[in-house]
Amino acid sequence: MMSPRVQLLLILAAGAIFLVVFRELGPSGYQLGLLMRTMILMIVAIGLNILIGQAGLVSLGQAAIYGLGAYVAAWLAVRHNVSFLPAIAAAILASACCGAILAYPTVRVRGAYFAVITIAFGLVFENILIEWLSVTGGSQGLIGIPRGNVFGVVLTRPIYFWVVAACLFFAFVVQYNIMHSRYGRAMRATAQSESAARALGINLAGMRTLAFVISAALAGLAGGLYAFLNLYVNYETFSFFHSVSFLLMVVLGGLGTLLGPLLGASILTYIAEALQNLREWQIFAFSVLLAAVMFVMPRGIVGSLSDLYHHTTSRARRREAEPWPNHQISVEPATLMAEHETDAALVTEGLTVRFGGLTAVDNVRLSVYAGTVHALIGPNGAGKSSLLNLISGFYQPTSGDVLFFGERVGGRQSHELARRGMARTFQNTELFGQMTVLDNVLVGFHTHYASTLTETLLRLPRFRREEFAFRERAQQLLCLVGLSDYADDEARHLPFGHQRRLEIARALALRPRLLLLDEPAAGLTHGEIEDLKRLIRLLADNEVTVILVEHHVEMVMAVSDHITVLDYGKVIAAGTVADVRDNPKVIEAYFGRGNLSLKRPDRLLPEPVEIGGAK
Amino acid sequence: MGEIVQYLLNGLTLGGIYALLALGLYIMWEASKAANFTHGDIYMLGAIVAVVLTERGLPLFVSVTASVAIAAVVGALIERFFVRPFNTEPHSIGWMLTTIAVGMMIESAATQTYGSLGRQLPSILAEKPIRLGGAGVYAQELLLPIAAVATMFGLQVFYRRTRLGRAMRAVAADRMAAGLMGIDSNLVALIAFALAAGIGALTGILIAPVLPALPTMGALTGLKAFGVAIVAGISSARGVVIVGLAYGVMEKFIEGYLSTGARDALGFSLVILALLAFPQGIFGRGEVKKV
Repeated sequence: MMSPRVQLLLILAAGAIFLVVFRELGPSGYQLGLLMRTMILMIVAIGLNILIGQAGLVSLGQAAIYGLGAYVAAWLAVRHNVSFLPAIAAAILASACCGAILAYPTVRVRGAYFAVITIAFGLVFENILIEWLSVTGGSQGLIGIPRGNVFGVVLTRPIYFWVVAACLFFAFVVQYNIMHSRYGRAMRATAQSESAARALGINLAGMRTLAFVISAALAGLAGGLYAFLNLYVNYETFSFFHSVSFLLMVVLGGLGTLLGPLLGASILTYIAEALQNLREWQIFAFSVLLAAVMFVMPRGIVGSLSDLYHHTTSRARRREAEPWPNHQISVEPATLMAEHETDAALVTEGLTVRFGGLTAVDNVRLSVYAGTVHALIGPNGAGKSSLLNLISGFYQPTSGDVLFFGERVGGRQSHELARRGMARTFQNTELFGQMTVLDNVLVGFHTHYASTLTETLLRLPRFRREEFAFRERAQQLLCLVGLSDYADDEARHLPFGHQRRLEIARALALRPRLLLLDEPAAGLTHGEIEDLKRLIRLLADNEVTVILVEHHVEMVMAVSDHITVLDYGKVIAAGTVADVRDNPKVIEAYFGRGNLSLKRPDRLLPEPVEIGGAK
Repeated sequence: MGEIVQYLLNGLTLGGIYALLALGLYIMWEASKAANFTHGDIYMLGAIVAVVLTERGLPLFVSVTASVAIAAVVGALIERFFVRPFNTEPHSIGWMLTTIAVGMMIESAATQTYGSLGRQLPSILAEKPIRLGGAGVYAQELLLPIAAVATMFGLQVFYRRTRLGRAMRAVAADRMAAGLMGIDSNLVALIAFALAAGIGALTGILIAPVLPALPTMGALTGLKAFGVAIVAGISSARGVVIVGLAYGVMEKFIEGYLSTGARDALGFSLVILALLAFPQGIFGRGEVKKV
């Protein structure tokens, strides 16, 4: 398989050759116009592909954003004699602003709820176009748009053809550069697991707004181009039906694929032309086609073809996980990250959270010293995970505060904490299932990139340097946990134990000063737990502070420096392993009060028992 | 005074339509966590089939029953072939596209065969208007809000008292756990879609004596009902009925005091604002995600 970069260059070259040959063949005015319209629709489809295929947000109002661009450009050109370039710029700006506003609800709603907002937006827009006569020209629309004029050159159709083509190339490169950058990875991450994305320092609202703004800006550009191609605009082009068509283009081509939107837009436009003969049955045929495509190729044309390709070419290669932790790979010592002014990595002061009448965490005081392994144990329902969620910003405390290396961080969002060097894993592993194992780790580096969006979109040197360096480091981290062989597999196909390893590697990509492990041993085999113990000690030796929530008592006793025992949300014991092991309160919490004749164990941990032959 | 009562009564009729359709969406959502964009077209289909069968000389009762039965079968087919295969993952969007497609097919086919001219269903309740506080309405119009409230209570009894209803609630709460307890959740979803489609068709039949049955009557109404269901919080039956009736009344007042043109622009803007203020819907329950 060629590298994505070579693919991009090949596609661009093929596109350029196609356009030149098309022009040389001397197409009729109709053919020329049809291809220009198709190219404009491709730009909208590319934008929508970024929104749905990357950020996982379904918009059923994209035609309205496209229409906004068209009407803004048309209105400026007709009513205010604004020339081509400023009118297009205004169209892009207006649509992008509109996209930013529409993105706001995604902070709180998704799925069907969000779909309703976009549908409602589209219908409101359509109604305004019809009703606001003085500005939009009502149902007649805006007519008499003058041809564009750039620096004295009149954009006649043959010239305008190349303008549209250039814009399409631009949109296509933007799409590629977003998909193959930390922004694309972060968008896919937010779509696949919100919790994990937040824990890795990604601002969900910011990332979704970005996706929306980019997709809306492209729609606005396309709208502006359409106005100057058609020379009149009318509300009928921007209805709900057209929003559905845009969605269909992207799904038909293949969501999240590079070529999908181009293919989808051209097939749909040319089919719509061919169906003209059917007259009244046109819409019927169109919808039958839509349903048929969904049946035959739910992943779209490009998606299904690439599945087929992978299916036929990939030999069922046997992948081997290597032993871990791999001691040849260094763990970056956390001390490099920041000077500690304090030896307490984390202090909680009277931390409390209530859910309704239930006090899950009750006035907990905790001091975790830097570079130590601190375990939180307690029976089921003791509030361990709630405490972990409070510390990592997933729950907001009802009262109390958290000090992270001396800084007051109680009530901060999880992504803000991640940026300060707090990483975590999840009880039920939260991987980005449809991303590759390597990409999962790369998402962990998101906050460490210094290159800006502009640098990323233009592929400037700093972006390339960083991308290269982080890829190297991600490979090393995979090596550390012994998963190098799986780098290109989708994370969801990993066996369970390996998923836990990957989650830890991903958390380490954040270069944490404090790592929170939520039941990392759950579901692991005896051998895997031994490896995990070694890894935890390795981290602690490199000054990474670890908070461990775990039921596996034998492991806790083996790796921890300090233990805090919770029961009913309260701390019932704290201290070193020896202190806690013999504490009668702890034994009671675990085993209850011994009134029965059964002999109550006099210490929490019996001597470790080796299960015969298990390794 | 008479004006206000008139708007209120007409609004309740319109709201009754939204409420009944939104109840159907609620039923389908509970069973399959998917909505159905054909619902507005099923409502239209119910009215049109009843009109056509009556015109062919069938007794009213027979054509109404047949129409509801046909709609239920169509609903079940839609679930089996256009929703179930495309609703396999939590954030699937396939069902949105396929149901939109089927909706367009139904509307387009109806336009070609039935024609675009509206025709009414005969009804003894729509012959002489009743005078009420200076306003005039047909008894038929009053049936809609009454049917909406009755359906809501009927559903409550059905969900609590019957084996099938309890199975539906179990599937709504946790599909997998219900499956492990031996409930065929696919069958439950199929029945839910049939039931919802039946209610949708009946709604169309109830309004057909007053509002001429037209192929285009469903699409926008369906979208509004979907908006109503989401704003109410789609998992609350009482919520969707209240919001549905309120939305209908509001539309009539906007029409009356502003203009017909302002109705949809303003109405849908309110939908957006309501969702911003209540992201889980006004009567919806917030889900706390455990991590």
